[in-house]
Amino acid sequence: MKKTDEPTFEQALEALETLVERLEKGELALEESLKLYEEGIRLSRLCHGKLEEAEGKIEMLLKDARGEPALDPKGNPRTKTLTPPDDHDA
Amino acid sequence: MQQKGLDFGGSAEPRPPRRQALTVSELTRRLQGLLETEFADVWVEGEVSNLKRAASGHMYFSLKDAGAQIRAVVWKTDARRLLFKPRDGMQVLARGSLRVYPPHGEYQVSVQVLEPLGKGSLAQAFEELKERLEKEGLFAPGRRRPLPLLPRRIAVVTSPTGAVIRDILRVLHRRHPTLEVLVYPVRVQGEGAAGEIARAISALNHLGGLDVVILARGGGTLEDLWAFNEESVARAIAASRIPTLSAVGHETDVTIADFVADVRAPTPSAAAELVVQPREELQARVNAAGNRLGSALRLRLTRTRARVEAAAAHRVFAAEQGRLHVRAQRVDELVRRGERALVRRLETSRERAGRKRERLEVLRWDRQLAARRERVARRVERLHGLLRGRVDQRRARLAGMAGRLEGLSPLAVLGRGYALVWDEATGVLLRDAGETELGHKLRVRLHKGTVRATVESKERE
Repeated sequence: MKKTDEPTFEQALEALETLVERLEKGELALEESLKLYEEGIRLSRLCHGKLEEAEGKIEMLLKDARGEPALDPKGNPRTKTLTPPDDHDA
Repeated sequence: MQQKGLDFGGSAEPRPPRRQALTVSELTRRLQGLLETEFADVWVEGEVSNLKRAASGHMYFSLKDAGAQIRAVVWKTDARRLLFKPRDGMQVLARGSLRVYPPHGEYQVSVQVLEPLGKGSLAQAFEELKERLEKEGLFAPGRRRPLPLLPRRIAVVTSPTGAVIRDILRVLHRRHPTLEVLVYPVRVQGEGAAGEIARAISALNHLGGLDVVILARGGGTLEDLWAFNEESVARAIAASRIPTLSAVGHETDVTIADFVADVRAPTPSAAAELVVQPREELQARVNAAGNRLGSALRLRLTRTRARVEAAAAHRVFAAEQGRLHVRAQRVDELVRRGERALVRRLETSRERAGRKRERLEVLRWDRQLAARRERVARRVERLHGLLRGRVDQRRARLAGMAGRLEGLSPLAVLGRGYALVWDEATGVLLRDAGETELGHKLRVRLHKGTVRATVESKERE
């Protein structure tokens, strides 16, 4: 599904923030600063991407007769999709 | 009343010989009948001693007091239901039936319910398990893992009906509409609930791809919440590789699950809030870092340029002019590269905003069509369903759908030279010459504009 070596949102955001702090100190060589900057842009894109990547699906797991999760032929759990509850009917 | 057998006054009468002796089995059977009938349901209290747990799961012990003791057994199925672990020396109250075991000439209490005396049984069981698990280190703060900042997919183990799951889903959806949620339905109270919850946790660990598991249940009595105080649930939580969040009962209710889980939430809806930070906040954090990144580099570039220019202007370095030029050029290149990078970034963020606008416009256009005909509206409904699908598929499928929508629009058909004809008197959209009458006024909708006509003759095919 997803590349597993990709950092999590958290890791990317933390790396980005650490990098910004280093860059702000202004003690790095110019070339190094540029590298950091480019890396920072990459990380911020990654973070934005992760904030938007999933699609908010809400599912209910289905069980088989023995009460175990029902699986499809590929071994994935069978589910039914639920509609998100309306925020206004609280 | 006539006295019997206590008459010491008279001459000793010889005992009549007993011809009809009982066999041991017969006697035992009669005793069995008497005892098992008389003590079919008996309550007895005493001290547990000589307790043995057989490999079969049955539990054997004696109940004793200062003057006597009686054997007792708890069969496997009942032993599993005990809410505490009996130990030698413990004062208990047992309820069961007396059973005779003919081969050994023994009798014992077959215990169905066993409660420790003194504190309430459940409270004692709770303390007992809590103490034991604590000793094992299951509650150690060092075991607790933080929840991920941005979970992508989470599971909720709870009852599929009722306010709890609704509240959780509502809060999750409000805070983070792109979060994926898998609801694992379980019974949250009564016999078998603990087993279901424990199995759910381990099954979810096998499924994988989940970032957090929420265990949730609404408020209730200590008995109602009991499943979350069972050892099996505590063990399943402790074994979970996925971080767990326990949200059982109200704020004042504390369960063993709360102690073992990575995070405890006071209520189920608080759990939903703990598990996801509002997406806007995270977005703001990323944006802030991005902006700081840009200004830091800009500052760095300005300073460098100023320094290089100052150096190049300095006559003292005249001798090194050649080398300096080379360096200055290199620095210039780097600065230009930096500036290009800054510009590129501006352009990409503009592009991204543009793409978003485009998507919105496509959506709005669909809605206009939808207003025209119910059939189209249903298509749009499906479109919305599709929009919830994977982002990758989104645009391609949207485009396909939009094409089909256009085909369905009556106006698109009119554009090809067809017309819609209504009978003005009946309002019927005509499909058959039989649907109108001679002399009726007709309304004819063309691609652009409307004309009126009168039926002068009819021919049916």
